[in-house]
Amino acid sequence: MTKYYELKELESKAPKLFGIPTGTKLDEMFFKVEEEDGKFVKKPLGGIPYLAVMNITGVPDTGKSVFAEQFTVTQAAHGYKVLFVTVESPANFLYTALKQKAQAMGVDFSKVEQNVVVIDASESDELRENTRALIDTMAYAIREKKCTNVVIDSVTGLYEHKEVLARQIVRQIFNFLKKWRQTAILISQKRSSQASESAEAAGGLAVAHIVDGTIVMDKKIIETRWDVNLYGLPIGSVLRTIRIDGCRLTGHDSRTWVFEITESGLIEIIAPLSEYIKKRGRLVEE
Amino acid sequence: MEVIAKPKGGMNVDKMAEKVFWEAIKMLGGLKRLVEYRNLTWLPSLAEAAYVLVLKNEAFKTYREIAEYLGITEQTVKNIATADEEAVKKYLEGELEERPKEHIAGGIAKLAYKKLKEEKRLDEQEVEMYHDEIEALGIDWAVHVLARIRGTHFPLNKDELKEKLEGIVVKGKKIEELLDKIEYPVKSPAELLHKIKVAAEEG
Repeated sequence: MTKYYELKELESKAPKLFGIPTGTKLDEMFFKVEEEDGKFVKKPLGGIPYLAVMNITGVPDTGKSVFAEQFTVTQAAHGYKVLFVTVESPANFLYTALKQKAQAMGVDFSKVEQNVVVIDASESDELRENTRALIDTMAYAIREKKCTNVVIDSVTGLYEHKEVLARQIVRQIFNFLKKWRQTAILISQKRSSQASESAEAAGGLAVAHIVDGTIVMDKKIIETRWDVNLYGLPIGSVLRTIRIDGCRLTGHDSRTWVFEITESGLIEIIAPLSEYIKKRGRLVEE
Repeated sequence: MEVIAKPKGGMNVDKMAEKVFWEAIKMLGGLKRLVEYRNLTWLPSLAEAAYVLVLKNEAFKTYREIAEYLGITEQTVKNIATADEEAVKKYLEGELEERPKEHIAGGIAKLAYKKLKEEKRLDEQEVEMYHDEIEALGIDWAVHVLARIRGTHFPLNKDELKEKLEGIVVKGKKIEELLDKIEYPVKSPAELLHKIKVAAEEG
């Protein structure tokens, strides 16, 4: 039997639009438009949209895991349960990373400890290779621990040797996360040869068309005089950028922003790339 | 920080199916009304439907996986999973004159499953208290049979079935005696339930 809905019927099922803070300036980059005194006003959402499944993609060492950890600590510190599926790094390393982040962010680590549940797929072949086993385990954790957020770092690690199945695996995970009403961050790796500024890539492409939105992280090494003049940075330094490539759930800033990973290991979004170049250019001229 | 390093099923499918089965009977009017319904032929189907719903919604099995698991066709699984429970409800309440095309047991099981989920009772350990009553009425056997043959490849012969089902009582009779009366091989769990039921009723 074909099931269909009248639009009105969906009203009660439709999720509310509000932000789930990531602990970065990205929270101000998602917005919604509301009518106030007959005028439409843009209002920051305060985070990634509630119940969104967001894909964070980029070549290695662009800060994706740092972002995932910062999101986890922020949510856990607010008292929300986070399920962190670690596919690349063993759980004990994740523990250290989260502890450092919590210290750097000045939040109570005991609260973070209490609110983070980890599935360590890095050392279990079955969890990595058998998506069904992973999903059953995630269902167990979400049900038993009452998790509201999920982080998978990285989803690419679940189809490393079977990229033809990438879409199928990501679709299964996406449907699962929707069904269990989770706000989720999926980290996906891009090969260095793939167009780094876009979401296109084996991992990126597979994930980007399925998920609700994609955030692309990138880095550029300053290696020519042209780069020095343009970015106002010394040769050999690294310029990191972040951009919301798309989000079908809400409005967002579509500019490329410059960010830094601070000495304490936190993501600090500085300014839109265009403004950054203008400002740095002026500094160089002076 | 709790770390889960090994896969977990995380759920007791048998317990949940049993709970859906029992809730469905309760929705039909409880123990008292059940006596009036005792000629209904779909109690084994109801057990099957309860399993289908739990396997689909709680264990995230595909139609094909459920069909293989229960030894029924994919179409039957689909009919159960997509049964329009509201139409079935109206039919049971006498609002519909004609029997709807929906899978009746599927519709009832869906109503029961939804109720349990809405009231957040599916995970709770409460089924034990009803065991004696269910057993006293002789209606629990289908659930026990399905639980025991879980994951078994059909067809099965008498010896295999006797070994797996030993000790179950169906309507006051030992299952071993009933298994002596049925024809072999048994091709599927659905056929097994049907044959046991017929054997038990023949006395």
